[in-house]
Amino acid sequence: MSDNAESPTETQKDDPSIQHAATEHTGASDEKKKIDVLLKAVGDAPIMKTKKWSVERGRTVQSLAQFISRFLKLEASEQLFIYVNQSFAPSPDQEVGVLFECFGSDGKLVLHYCKSQAWG
Amino acid sequence: MADDKDVLRDVWFGRIPACFTLSPEETTEREAEPYYLLLPRVSYLTLVTDKVKKHFLRVMKAEDSTEMWFEYEGTPLKWHYPIGVLFDLHASNTALPWNVTVHFKNFPEHDLLHCSYILFCLHSSYAYSVRQDNTDKFDQFWAMNRKLMEYPTDEGGFRYIPFRMYQTMGERPFIQKLFRPVSPEGHTLTLGDLLKELFPAAICAEDEPKRFQVMIHGIEPLLETPIQWLSEHLSHPDNFLHISIIPAPSD
Repeated sequence: MSDNAESPTETQKDDPSIQHAATEHTGASDEKKKIDVLLKAVGDAPIMKTKKWSVERGRTVQSLAQFISRFLKLEASEQLFIYVNQSFAPSPDQEVGVLFECFGSDGKLVLHYCKSQAWG
Repeated sequence: MADDKDVLRDVWFGRIPACFTLSPEETTEREAEPYYLLLPRVSYLTLVTDKVKKHFLRVMKAEDSTEMWFEYEGTPLKWHYPIGVLFDLHASNTALPWNVTVHFKNFPEHDLLHCSYILFCLHSSYAYSVRQDNTDKFDQFWAMNRKLMEYPTDEGGFRYIPFRMYQTMGERPFIQKLFRPVSPEGHTLTLGDLLKELFPAAICAEDEPKRFQVMIHGIEPLLETPIQWLSEHLSHPDNFLHISIIPAPSD
């Protein structure tokens, strides 16, 4: 289901809590601690080759946004906006695990990202 | 639904008297007087403190002031928490007015988000509605909000109750989960049921001393209160029930 792509080894080394979802879960406890996130580009935001990620529940929206920015090699001055259900922007200190429990569907959390404000 | 207009009014117009004092660390050209202000419980610090900023900037040099931020007894106050929640969480059992310290230096990057992002996260029209505080806005708000609250009569209430439980102890700043107002067997669920599931330490036996206070808008509702009623009447304008759980005072 996830896109086949070269893993970005550089960014992955920095972020062990965000892994390509195609890697095997090492056990049941891993499954509970991480949630599946599907990232979708909006507007002129570059499309990520790898869209499906396994993210630790405690990870914040802000750190996920930073990860995406680095992955996409955005300029430091470029902002990234993240949306849930194409309707609201979660606060940057929100944990993705909480968003998944309240707003996830089909076992994953769908997040849209863009370089300018889109909804709300 | 949401029939008790007196409760809705009290929630909307709830205020906290605050006294803003400049931190002694700040450099001023002359002495800064404290600034007194009544803060709406359902609003946010970033939306109601322009006057505080202007008041203190008058006694400071422009180059000495960067971004303003607030602190209470050493804790930086988060912009994106409703004012009522901040007060209930940090200062509810202390004497009024609420003494808040104002800073312009050393913005605590790890504890606080910057204002500009907060204003983006708050839906623009919602931010507008909590900035105003007169009766016209109250009626206009409820004319719209009523429509958002409609549910089919055969269901006991909303599908899920939007809520957040805040606490200062504990590894996470708040608890937010899905919770239905009616049990699968059709029983009306109460505040006590919500706590039993998500914060059982707040429920204690009759002969035990209370370890926690569960506050909404500065009051401790009875645990028997149906959660559907609480959601309809004590929610903030964002339709979330913001619940503060604090250690019970020791005296």
